[in-house]
Amino acid sequence: MSIKSLTKEWEPMAYGFLDASAKREIRRKTLKAIAVPGCQMPYASREVPMARGWGTGGLQISCTLINPQTTVKVIDQGADDSVNAASIRRFLSRVSGAPTTMDTLKADLIQSRHRIPEEKLREDQVLVLQVPNPEPLRPVQPNMSIARQMHADADYGRMWLQLYEQIVRSGRVMQGASYPSLVHGRFVMTPSPIPRWDVPKMHMAKHLTILSAGREKRLHAVPPFARVEPLVFDDVPYRVEDHGDLTCTRSGAKGYFMNEIPQDDGSSTYEVSDSELGVKTIRQRDGEGTAIGATWYEEGRMPQ
Amino acid sequence: MAYVATRGGERAIEQSQRLYREEMGAITPERVNELRQAMPYLIDRVMGEASLYDEDLAALALAQTGGELYEATLLLRAWRTTQPRLAVADPVTQDGLFTHRRISAAFKDIPGGQVLGPTLDYAHRILATEVLSGETHVPDPVTPAARPSPAHQPSVAAWQAENDLLTAAKPDQTTGNDIPDVTREPLLFPAKRAHTLQSLARAETGGVLALGYAAQRGYGQAHPTVNELRLAEAEIKVKHPRGTTFSAGRVKLSQAEVVNKKGTQLELGFAATMGWNEVKVIAAATLDVNSEGAAKGSATEEEFFLYHTEGVESSGFCIHFKLPHYVTFQSSLDAMRDAKAKKVAKDKAPEPAE
Repeated sequence: MSIKSLTKEWEPMAYGFLDASAKREIRRKTLKAIAVPGCQMPYASREVPMARGWGTGGLQISCTLINPQTTVKVIDQGADDSVNAASIRRFLSRVSGAPTTMDTLKADLIQSRHRIPEEKLREDQVLVLQVPNPEPLRPVQPNMSIARQMHADADYGRMWLQLYEQIVRSGRVMQGASYPSLVHGRFVMTPSPIPRWDVPKMHMAKHLTILSAGREKRLHAVPPFARVEPLVFDDVPYRVEDHGDLTCTRSGAKGYFMNEIPQDDGSSTYEVSDSELGVKTIRQRDGEGTAIGATWYEEGRMPQ
Repeated sequence: MAYVATRGGERAIEQSQRLYREEMGAITPERVNELRQAMPYLIDRVMGEASLYDEDLAALALAQTGGELYEATLLLRAWRTTQPRLAVADPVTQDGLFTHRRISAAFKDIPGGQVLGPTLDYAHRILATEVLSGETHVPDPVTPAARPSPAHQPSVAAWQAENDLLTAAKPDQTTGNDIPDVTREPLLFPAKRAHTLQSLARAETGGVLALGYAAQRGYGQAHPTVNELRLAEAEIKVKHPRGTTFSAGRVKLSQAEVVNKKGTQLELGFAATMGWNEVKVIAAATLDVNSEGAAKGSATEEEFFLYHTEGVESSGFCIHFKLPHYVTFQSSLDAMRDAKAKKVAKDKAPEPAE
């Protein structure tokens, strides 16, 4: 036996790009984040070969979780084929040798920017959300030191006030995406800029969601079967985008979150935002045997 | 299939990169070499912001990005993050530096003397247009001074401390792997002194200048006087596992000490960075001296300027707005339209009877 036989061949880059100490730190912080749902855990956040703000937080989680057997799906704004999703998918596959897929049902690890797939995720799937700004208090308190203290005190009065002021001024809560939500009764989180449509998908979900902000160096998690409750007043119910009755002009799918496409004549058409669901719907329509999984929404309504 | 038209992201990425690189042409070792020799200050700036001292890699990064400084810095930092931390060098002290340039605006003369060194501060900024019409611009040769200036000089702050004008900083006894490293720990506030100085050293030059200048113009409480500005080389001494200490070479660095009168004492602001970058260290030291007691949320508060002068992060976030945002935008549109419809319905409703 020689030392050489006991060691690995020298490689110019660590498996999964990040070195072992970076991965260890992220794994520890992820475990902490799972143990304290919704609480932001600071982490060092290494520089990766991608610009900050382009999914470096999600990428570091994916690089930490990935192995050669992990089937990876990457979504950007609902689509697998947009340029950034393609770029991240190619990078993950390149540094890990992991197989990739666009099918939500076949994926083990899903890294996503701003959407949760319309097909329900299972216990064995992990959703990694890229988060540009993990601090829900930022609009009312841009100073991070004070905001951390407010979280510690569960002092969310200013957030409630902000929502109340929106109702008084505009007749409704004007928050678009990244709707502040209370996680398991303790921490208010910003669930990444996913539309309001997607927030109820996190409530008591079977899958683990890890939310990671590389530039802001914070990660937080929604463990399986955790409560995720959007901040709402008793008499003003939570409202998702009014997309339940819209039909996708490409696939005919109905009852999902849609992208509005402005037309030359001043009107709009719509296409389903979850592009792979659109593809599957078309395939099914054309008689190709494609399985579409159970979806969170039924007939455009979230079952109670 | 209807969706086919939208597929092709990977091919589009590939071709757009080719288009960009086509404009720059081939990157040859000669080009990298030429860049390193002809653009030393640009190389120094990128090395400082990347916190990686390697002139060849910096020149390569500049060649590869066509001189896009934010991209070049990111390339170097991403490469740096793949490298193991093998050893921690011995502390570098000010009087151990090999000084090339050292000036003081506080005193006419200082122990060790002022050394003008290489500078264009007093040059007339006139373009050498004759080069474009075919002449070669050959710099006049340097005439060495009759008496060479000493290579090592003490710090001005040390003299001020001796004369009870300044409270000297307590030497930090932390050594080796216990030294806080901002590349391996998150920056938290109140920040460790080591993290503050490391962040300022890596900060984006333009950003530091903008905020430092704001403080100098009156948006800060402390007015800086340059105690000492130094361009130097530092010997990097590393301990071998066998116990012997050896030199791993020299790195160029700049440092600035600024002082501000506060009551009967001077307070000290400090910044140092790898490479020669005078504007940055003066601006950074100005921010440092202004940070104590700065109001929360002001531009001279440590949290504010350390977050906002992080070039890789701020440039990355800025260009991320090029990515599609149609999901979030759609969500906002939905809320807007609904609020508008509600307002119309409310306006149309008859006034309630008195």
